[in-house]
Amino acid sequence: MSTIGNASIHSVDHHGGHGHHHESFWTKYVFSQDHKMIAKQFLVTGIVMAVIAMLLSILFRIQLAWPDKEFPILELFLGKWAEGGRIHPEFFLALVTIHGTIMVFFVLTAGLSGTFANLLIPYQLGARDMASPFMNMLSYWFFFAACVVMIASFFVESGPASAGWTIYPPLSAVPKAISGSAAGMTLWLISMTLFIVSQVLGGTNYISTVLNMRTKGMDLWKMPLTIWALFLTAIVGLLSFPVLVSAVVLLVFDRSFGTSFYLSDLVVQGQILPNEGGSPILFQHLFWFLGHPEVYIVLMPALGLTSEVISTNSRKPIFGYHAMVYSLIGITVLSFIVWGHHMFVTGMNPFLGGVFMITTLIIAVPSAVKVFNYLATLWRGNIRFTPAMLFAIGMVSFFISGGLTGIFLGNSALDINLHDTYFVVAHFHLVMGSASIFGMLCGVYHWFPKMFGRMMNEKLGYLHFWVTFIGAYLVFFPMHFMGIDGVPRRYYSFTEFPFMDKWISVNEFVTWAAIIAALGQLAFIWNFFSSIWFGKRATQNPWSSNTLEWTTPVEHFHGNWPGEIPTVYRWPYDYSKPGHHEDFIPQTVPFSETMSSNLPHDFEGNQEAERIQREWELANKPQPEKEAE
Amino acid sequence: MIAMARYTQDKEELTQQKAKKFNLWLGMIGMFMMFAALSSGFIVYTAGGADRGIKTLLPDAFIYSTVLIVVSSVTMQMAYAAAKRTAFGRQKLLLLVTIALGIGFFAMQVHAWGVLSDRGVVFVNSNASQSFIYVFTGMHLAHIIAGLAVLARALVGRIRNIPQVNNVFRMDLAALFWHFLGILWIYIYVFLLLNQ
Amino acid sequence: MGFIKNSNIRTVFLLAFSMCVLLSIPAFAQSTADTSVQATAGTDTAGTVGNADTASTVAVTGDTPAPDTAAGGTTVDEAIGVTSVATAEGDQPLDLDPQVYQNAFYYVLLVLLICILIVVVGRIWQIYELTRRMAGKDTTYYMHNIHATLFLVCLIVGLYGVYWSYVHHGAQSMRDAATEHGERIDLMFMITTVITTIVLVLTHIGLFGFAFKYRATPQRKAYFYPHNNTIEKVWTIVPAIVLTVLVLFGFFTWRSITNVPEEDQKNALHIEVIGEQFTWTVRYPGRDGVIGERNYRLTTPLNNLGIDFNDKNSWDDQLGSEIVLPVNKPVRVQISSKDILHSFYIPDFRVQMNAVPGMKTYFQFTPTITTEEMRDRLGDYNYDYVMLCAKICGGGHYNMQKKVRVVTEEEYREWLNEQPYFFTEDLRKEFQVSEATANEGSEKLLANAN
Repeated sequence: MSTIGNASIHSVDHHGGHGHHHESFWTKYVFSQDHKMIAKQFLVTGIVMAVIAMLLSILFRIQLAWPDKEFPILELFLGKWAEGGRIHPEFFLALVTIHGTIMVFFVLTAGLSGTFANLLIPYQLGARDMASPFMNMLSYWFFFAACVVMIASFFVESGPASAGWTIYPPLSAVPKAISGSAAGMTLWLISMTLFIVSQVLGGTNYISTVLNMRTKGMDLWKMPLTIWALFLTAIVGLLSFPVLVSAVVLLVFDRSFGTSFYLSDLVVQGQILPNEGGSPILFQHLFWFLGHPEVYIVLMPALGLTSEVISTNSRKPIFGYHAMVYSLIGITVLSFIVWGHHMFVTGMNPFLGGVFMITTLIIAVPSAVKVFNYLATLWRGNIRFTPAMLFAIGMVSFFISGGLTGIFLGNSALDINLHDTYFVVAHFHLVMGSASIFGMLCGVYHWFPKMFGRMMNEKLGYLHFWVTFIGAYLVFFPMHFMGIDGVPRRYYSFTEFPFMDKWISVNEFVTWAAIIAALGQLAFIWNFFSSIWFGKRATQNPWSSNTLEWTTPVEHFHGNWPGEIPTVYRWPYDYSKPGHHEDFIPQTVPFSETMSSNLPHDFEGNQEAERIQREWELANKPQPEKEAE
Repeated sequence: MIAMARYTQDKEELTQQKAKKFNLWLGMIGMFMMFAALSSGFIVYTAGGADRGIKTLLPDAFIYSTVLIVVSSVTMQMAYAAAKRTAFGRQKLLLLVTIALGIGFFAMQVHAWGVLSDRGVVFVNSNASQSFIYVFTGMHLAHIIAGLAVLARALVGRIRNIPQVNNVFRMDLAALFWHFLGILWIYIYVFLLLNQ
Repeated sequence: MGFIKNSNIRTVFLLAFSMCVLLSIPAFAQSTADTSVQATAGTDTAGTVGNADTASTVAVTGDTPAPDTAAGGTTVDEAIGVTSVATAEGDQPLDLDPQVYQNAFYYVLLVLLICILIVVVGRIWQIYELTRRMAGKDTTYYMHNIHATLFLVCLIVGLYGVYWSYVHHGAQSMRDAATEHGERIDLMFMITTVITTIVLVLTHIGLFGFAFKYRATPQRKAYFYPHNNTIEKVWTIVPAIVLTVLVLFGFFTWRSITNVPEEDQKNALHIEVIGEQFTWTVRYPGRDGVIGERNYRLTTPLNNLGIDFNDKNSWDDQLGSEIVLPVNKPVRVQISSKDILHSFYIPDFRVQMNAVPGMKTYFQFTPTITTEEMRDRLGDYNYDYVMLCAKICGGGHYNMQKKVRVVTEEEYREWLNEQPYFFTEDLRKEFQVSEATANEGSEKLLANAN
């Protein structure tokens, strides 16, 4: 057996472009082509970016809470952007913009699906690596370059991009209108182009790996929901990110060459611009054609990860596996025909608005199905509260409360009064911000042992969860009411309008909650990094889980399995199956070894197998009856 | 034992190749999506007003370039066939011809730009429908550069005399991508003609 | 776990050290007030993590930041005072008072203290677990009980918090809509709120309730229940039906708001609102009731909207100092922008539409409540409707407003009579000159052609 194993590892390494005997520091840790290492690189970069984006958010939260106070310490760090200890209004917009960009793209797209698609697709499918490890490496390094460029924009004289993360032209195209649209915006566009290249390289790899490199017996309906989610996410990304390239390219032409795709009739600060005939709405169409699927790119991996974690820790099969998959597929398809709900009041044809509203509210149905299935999975489970499970439950809670407000915003008539207000901010921070971050954290706590071979500290994980969970609700829940009152988002201060006075105290409260929740992340950061080196050593299958990744040895090496890749015989959710002596049956256990617990539908109409099972049951008649209860 | 190991190895290698080819297909879908986005952008823009639209005849150079790229596709296919038959000299020659035709296509497109701008249909234009012609062809040319790089890689592989399996695989991918670029160009050309 | 082992000695040392620091710096007296408050607030949330009564945290923290920041503020203010003396003559903007660093230092210390506290608690907990293990009690399942209870507490407190928020914040944020269509929107808003709240409460009772009830115990085995097609069909169809109702309701409301018949469009009062960084300009149509055309190329310092005076409709257009509207009369606002995107948003009217350069957008509505009436209703005699910008548009975005007044027909007429015309004497002259040159130009062209 071991000869086979070695031979097959060699073949893979040969293909990966380097032998695994002489891995230098550079090929092992830096320009690694191993999916596990790339996953870790994505994760660590994602965490670093998340910390940066969180600090930015604290900065603007401070401004919002104490608009007329001075914080000289800020001037020390930010220089002219916080002259006299007060954040400059344009810098405030820059903070908001970069916070949004980093969180949406760098943390929740690359950090989330980059990490877990790389880690889990080969592991859970039984592949030795991705279809093209080289492209995978490129994907990470393009992402890394994008991060560097984005951060670099803070050190530009005219400041980072500040037209909002949606970079609507003309604001993003005319440096005279806002200084962030000068060099900062150029860097933003470069960074985003690099990012898209990274995502397309990564995404093609994920799809192709899922479709081509599954191990023996792993048909599509035996894939864990994580893989389904990551797979569909990659499809969405592949179809939508190139569209953003087009939008960005046209914007670059408008900015740098003077074309008029998006610009027309502009008199900026008394000066008539030459551009004529363009349409700003065109950009919005192109942007949101990506932008809305992007929301699901962010959310679906979180749904996949939590499905797996909830099932494992409830010790119960996920309820309605097929329904879960179909609703993911439904979300995937529908996500492409709802982008117009971001444009109800932007001057788009109102009839189109009505159509988009219908498609938008339809997408709530598969989401609702998912929620109910989660609940049904918890029902009569035997729930173990590992930190990952806590985060998964938190994710479901955010998904519900954030999703419900989507019903308001998706309704074009209600959106008139809620568009671009704090209600929107509350909505998407709950449903795609908090829910996805919780999905990601849940994944980190659950698969940490697989990634680093050590366990994270559970107690700190608990502390982290409760602080973050309560903190996030305290931060975002009050914002709904500001939005209903008509406070627009991206307002530098609430001091200019009498009707906003009453929200200043709420803002202070929100800021304190945000600061405490942010400090709570210290528990995670410390836990994460110290556990990499000092954590308790992990066992091979610490959560008694069914999926394939837990059949690999704790020690990592290129190729994942020392011997032959295991064959898969069953779906991944045989938890607490009646008649079996343990409460889990890994996917690699054939039905012939679990005669006492097999059910008729396990055989999918294979008559020969059913016959054998019947014969066995006749021979051991009384036993299964008793154990079923 | 060893025979079985060889079998597993070959099988895994085959899966790898299949997956890589599949990657290319997916990449092509991505690229096509980009052009689809540009097309829909064009349609949305042009529908926005009566003063918009291409409003000029596309230069004849586009017809010649179409002929060039179609011929190059044929030569590429012949080169691939030659590679499979291990007729290496012929493969090399046909690859060179394909590359030359590709460069010719590139030159012809640039020439077409010259023709257009002589007519006053320039890139920086208050009628962005006309700017779109440049964007379409320019983005396509960027892909042609990538395509030429792929062809060159196949040629280098041939000259370095890499194993036949890899040679055929590279040729397979290069041919696929090159055909895609041809079809993409025909799509763009027809799209522009229809909106002329 | 390694860090906990090592931290034993370190903890004591750090604790002692920080105590010394705290005691030895007299300036700390100034900020003890805020640190102690914050410490309680911090540990409240951090230490007790959720078994703390969140409602009380809401109440406590909601109130505390005020004195807290007041204290912080005074220290900072004093610091500024000192700095300003120091920098009165020279321009050294970064010559910060050391107090600033000290304040920052205190906060860092405070965080460290909390961290130490957490380590100590963790340590104690570990010892407690050890004793449990020695006593032969279980060391994993009691943990599940704790979390299950926390979830239950979270559910109860959370639901109360939602209720509290609805009552307090909801009352703050809901005002009567002052337009016809606004009332319909509000009705739909209420219906949607009721439905979503029911779903929110039920699903959370399910989520946290199941988490509590089905926490792991060593005896039980989970119930193997992979699917049930009937149930799944039910909870696909029920949301679908509810959503269909909402969709239809919303669709017809939306159409009725945006799809105004030609006839009604003509009968409405037309006004134009033009956004630019960071002001709004309001144009009333004058006697003819028609707003003149604009052409951005005609923008000059005098004619800064670029009004095209070749269009005679523009000659009697009036500049509104604010938006004044007659009550119960349909208004059709034509919205446009000079430079970048803005958004015309009047929360009280439930009206919003983007201002797009190079494109006209419209919103038609009928105000039903005069400003006076609204003031009476709210009991706030300074209350005004306000129009604000809701689309990010640059540094002044947060203060781009225009007062909106709804008055009776007579008051409106009276006010309108006082508003100036756009076509002022100066503009007339400028227009005549430009026309003359244009004529000359065209004559020259003609001559050349001949």
